[in-house]
Amino acid sequence: MKFSAILPVARVLRRELAVTALLLLGVSVVVFAVLYLAPGDPLNVLLEGQSPRSQLALGAREVLGVPQTWYGRYGAWLAKVLQGNFGNSIRTGLPVLPELARVGVNTLVLTLGSLLFTLMIAVPIAVHAAVNGDTAGNTAATVAAYVVSAVPVFWFGYIVVYVFINKLGMFPLLSGTATKQPHAWLYFLVPIFVLGTASGTLAELIRHLREELSRVLAEDYIRTARAKGAPVWRHAFKEGFLIPVTEIMSAKIPFLLGGAVIVEQVFNWPGMGRMAWQAAQDRDFPVIMGVALVAAAFVRTGNLLQRVVFTMVNPRASKE
Amino acid sequence: MRRYVQTAGPIGEFSALPLLQRAETRDLVYVGYGLLVLALVLASYLLGAFGWLPDDPRAMHVDLINAAPFSPGHPLGTDFLGRDLQARLILGIQAYFLPGLLAIAISVVGGSVLGVLAGYRGGWLAVVITYFANLLDSFPRLILILLVIAAFKADIYAIMVVVGITGMPETANLIAGKISFLRQKNFIEAAHALGLPAHTVILKHILWLNCRALLVIQATLGMAEAILVETSLSYLGFGVQEPTPSWGNMVQAGANYFLQGNFWPSTAPALAILATILGFQLLGDGLNGMLEGKRRR
Repeated sequence: MKFSAILPVARVLRRELAVTALLLLGVSVVVFAVLYLAPGDPLNVLLEGQSPRSQLALGAREVLGVPQTWYGRYGAWLAKVLQGNFGNSIRTGLPVLPELARVGVNTLVLTLGSLLFTLMIAVPIAVHAAVNGDTAGNTAATVAAYVVSAVPVFWFGYIVVYVFINKLGMFPLLSGTATKQPHAWLYFLVPIFVLGTASGTLAELIRHLREELSRVLAEDYIRTARAKGAPVWRHAFKEGFLIPVTEIMSAKIPFLLGGAVIVEQVFNWPGMGRMAWQAAQDRDFPVIMGVALVAAAFVRTGNLLQRVVFTMVNPRASKE
Repeated sequence: MRRYVQTAGPIGEFSALPLLQRAETRDLVYVGYGLLVLALVLASYLLGAFGWLPDDPRAMHVDLINAAPFSPGHPLGTDFLGRDLQARLILGIQAYFLPGLLAIAISVVGGSVLGVLAGYRGGWLAVVITYFANLLDSFPRLILILLVIAAFKADIYAIMVVVGITGMPETANLIAGKISFLRQKNFIEAAHALGLPAHTVILKHILWLNCRALLVIQATLGMAEAILVETSLSYLGFGVQEPTPSWGNMVQAGANYFLQGNFWPSTAPALAILATILGFQLLGDGLNGMLEGKRRR
């Protein structure tokens, strides 16, 4: 990469990092506010029915070092979170952050893997459709993509589980990664396949990439390239392929993380989505807060990467 | 009277053809299927609301457990307790219909307000609204909903408020984009020059005359989202609880039998979800192609 190309990226990176930090601060405020407004106070158990405004209650808070104002509590909580202390799970008593790191990796594998799978399916279809225009096969593929994106992911999961267990007799399904089996790595592939197919990302990627690529292929500079015999693909790649693909990928990360909640439930996959589900059942506040913060951090990171790619392709964007 | 309707792309492409002749066949098929689904959902909702069901959805026919479709008396078969699937499917619409309307109302009204503020007023307000939109987009919606469930033991209406709020940025974005497009046109300037009050310009000339198609489309797509959220949550065990039927908990209830090879009790509600979500999505996209000139091939 030329040096002149690094400068705008550095400028954008600085700006986007600041925006990301600001947004994550906002995320922490939202998460804290939801839990702050939640009925019930953990101290009530300790106070055995004393009014929370009573002298005794205030005294107990003081003794325990619990700040009495909302901003005091928020500040104390945020300071702890920034030091990596997300509190302990109410259900298991384990510290939240190491647990999150353990299961977060699984969710990351699931979502990134499914993105990769979606790309492998969607890109050939979209490129073929953009280059060849409206043919019967392309229309059929588009309709199929619509239908597939409306399939409930949990039901699709059952079909896949049934086929693999009953018909093919393979994959250590529903056993998690607790025991290492000879083909344990294959176990990763089934949920990835299910999430990658039925999360709705497939149809949207095909539609967006096809639209953008056929728009770019109709541009004047492509016609020029074609006329002088230059490779069209190389000229259309950045604007017609790289930008739309990264746009959709970063926009779809939240949906994939939401879909992961369901897929992890279906496949007993030890990930963040299952953790969130368990925490919502148990009202395990520290865990669900941690999951929400980490998920938002995932989303913002994806967005940041997309902005960087966009600036590298289109340095003018840094001056906007 | 000939009505000149703006079709595709930049300013100045108008067509005098009536809508139905102008529309592409594909869009007509999409909208036709969508309207069919909408009519079925509405009719079934009313049937469920008045209690005109083909069978008692709670009556267990112990001699007819997991009956196949076309069994005598049960055209769609029965579930694992011998309850009539057709009646339960119809009643399952109650679980999402009114909550879905609430989510749509919030996202359309809230999104319009934010969109007008950002597009018409602009300035620092637009910056604040963009920040708010990015903030909402940072959360995976299902995880935000699980957070709210954990905090408030939220029921389906409270969850749909969250769905509505998270749907606001998209509508706001579209409205703001539309306004910045309309601002290049003379009629807004003319309206200002005539001294029309801002609320007339916004409500009549912008929202009613130029954004209503967009809002209908957003509402349609919003219903698909609401159904997806409701069925996912009741599948996860957070929405409507047994014995009250919801399509999501029906899929969940049939799951064990599915893995034993008895597909129907789980598949019937899953197909209902599939057909309905597809219907609302196609209705939205078809209308988008017909009314907004957005080509989606």
